[in-house]
Amino acid sequence: MGPIIQARKLKNDYKIYKDHKGYIGALQNLFDRQFSLIHAVDQIDFEIQSGELMGYIGPNGAGKSTTIKMLTGLLVPTSGEILIDGYIPWKERKKYVRNIGAVFGQRTTLWWDLPMGDSLALLKHIYEIPDQVFRENLGIFKEILDLDTFMKTPVRSLSLGQRVRADFCAALLHNPKLLFLDEPTIGLDVVAKQRIREFIQFINRERKTTILLTTHDISDISKLCERVIVIDRGKILYDGVLKDLLDTFGGRRILSVEFAEQYPTPNLSNAEIINKNGNKVTYSFMRQSVTASKLIHDLSEKYRIIDLEVHDQPIEDTIREIYEKQLLYNNNDGKKNPSS
Amino acid sequence: MRRSLKLLLRLLRIQVRSQLQYPASFILEVLSSALTLGFFFLTFALTFTRFNQIGRWTLGEVAFVWGITEFSFGIMDMLFNGFDYDAFGPMVRRGHFDQLLLRPVNITLQVLGSRLVLRRLGKILEGVVIFGFGLSQIEITWTLAKVLYLPILSLSQVIFFGSLFIIGATTTYWTMERLEILNIFTYGSSEIMSYPMHIFPRALRMVFTFVVPAIFLSYYPAVFILSKPDPLNAPKFVYFSAPLIACAFLFLALRFWRFGVRNYKSTGS
Repeated sequence: MGPIIQARKLKNDYKIYKDHKGYIGALQNLFDRQFSLIHAVDQIDFEIQSGELMGYIGPNGAGKSTTIKMLTGLLVPTSGEILIDGYIPWKERKKYVRNIGAVFGQRTTLWWDLPMGDSLALLKHIYEIPDQVFRENLGIFKEILDLDTFMKTPVRSLSLGQRVRADFCAALLHNPKLLFLDEPTIGLDVVAKQRIREFIQFINRERKTTILLTTHDISDISKLCERVIVIDRGKILYDGVLKDLLDTFGGRRILSVEFAEQYPTPNLSNAEIINKNGNKVTYSFMRQSVTASKLIHDLSEKYRIIDLEVHDQPIEDTIREIYEKQLLYNNNDGKKNPSS
Repeated sequence: MRRSLKLLLRLLRIQVRSQLQYPASFILEVLSSALTLGFFFLTFALTFTRFNQIGRWTLGEVAFVWGITEFSFGIMDMLFNGFDYDAFGPMVRRGHFDQLLLRPVNITLQVLGSRLVLRRLGKILEGVVIFGFGLSQIEITWTLAKVLYLPILSLSQVIFFGSLFIIGATTTYWTMERLEILNIFTYGSSEIMSYPMHIFPRALRMVFTFVVPAIFLSYYPAVFILSKPDPLNAPKFVYFSAPLIACAFLFLALRFWRFGVRNYKSTGS
């Protein structure tokens, strides 16, 4: 199977106006508005294969939502091309959106005042879903998403978790080939997140639906996606296998030590102190540069230790570090694979 | 086309159902809004008794144009409420409009189907009562043409006011919030159309003739139906131009609307 999504030199600029202040300024604004041009998405290229479950990550304001808007046809790019399943999203809108589903975690597509079940029935008419497909899908989704208990509840009275589950069901009743997810698990508790993740996996495996998942929650990505695109400041920093990215930058380990007494500066070479609280000290070190046993040996020679623990840095922290320290920027621009 | 119509009805039925959830309170609301609005005409009528006429129109004749305008505006405000920028602005800002764009249905139809305010029956009722009062006060020599023109006139007014709402909603794509100044045209039109328009200063009349063609939807048709003399000396065919003007105005409003949707998609504000 070939690529279902192709984006070439995709670009979106927007203007930020610098307004003049005060009443006279308000008048001035009418005739002379100054603005700066922001490249929300800056000439990016990528392809997504049919059936893939792709993670799309980046810090706030990186250009993720802008990309999703362009892919779903809500936004016309400033320049560049998108071809999705033979369609240009912002042209032939009505035909194109028949093939896609979308869940925006912060919004609902359902009717606020309508019982959830009636909302879904209305979507059947909007998408002209055949009776049998509708019944079959609803049956399966109801079970996986556990919708039965609130089918008759008006959407406005649903909890966030229930509402997102209902939105997932709504987005997939018409068997879309493509599913766009923008922060679908935002604000959900662990149990609800888990249920949603299982559902995403089910749709991807059983229905072969191509899924693009945008999220802040790296645990979503690490549990679901094999491949990720990392974007920041409108540019793609990384496009490849998630594991490779983590192997390159995620060599960091954490050593937590509890000393018998308080030492003013229990420094270690090859490890940095990331937290110190009384006689409890946390070190971080690179797997490549030193072993845990060497550090423990060094420590126990100088200080008295009561307890200690070694573990890998959580993926979330690794990704945050990649953003914050701009580790990917240290590579040559345009080079898509990480190199140490 | 038939599918679209069926879907529109389905969307509107939901609105009706949820608004009729508490029938007693709904009826009270309709009656009280009819009364509140009616008081405005009542105070006008009481003042009117001091003059007996304005611009050689009697109270009954003013009630005739007043009533029909209130009636039509009420119908429009009930059906076109999705385009009321007080409703449409938040819809765009909160991203609900984006959700509509993700559905395989004509976007204009979806906005139309997004809101139906049944409460406006109050204004409609008020219009009917005032219109009825007007009829009871005046002697109209009814002809077939007049009988046929009356519903056409009301429908034209609905289309005309609806077009103004569509234009108002379209500005939201740029401003993201309501523009007070537009009220001059929407609510201003309905105000000004409630009076015999030849009494207004020339400049104001020009605005509501050439900028917003309100005069063709109230004053001129009324001159014909009520067989009044026309101090403005307009050619006779102007009396019958209401449906034509309304349809042309709707056409322009929809062009502007589509331009707005396109612009929205290229700025993504």
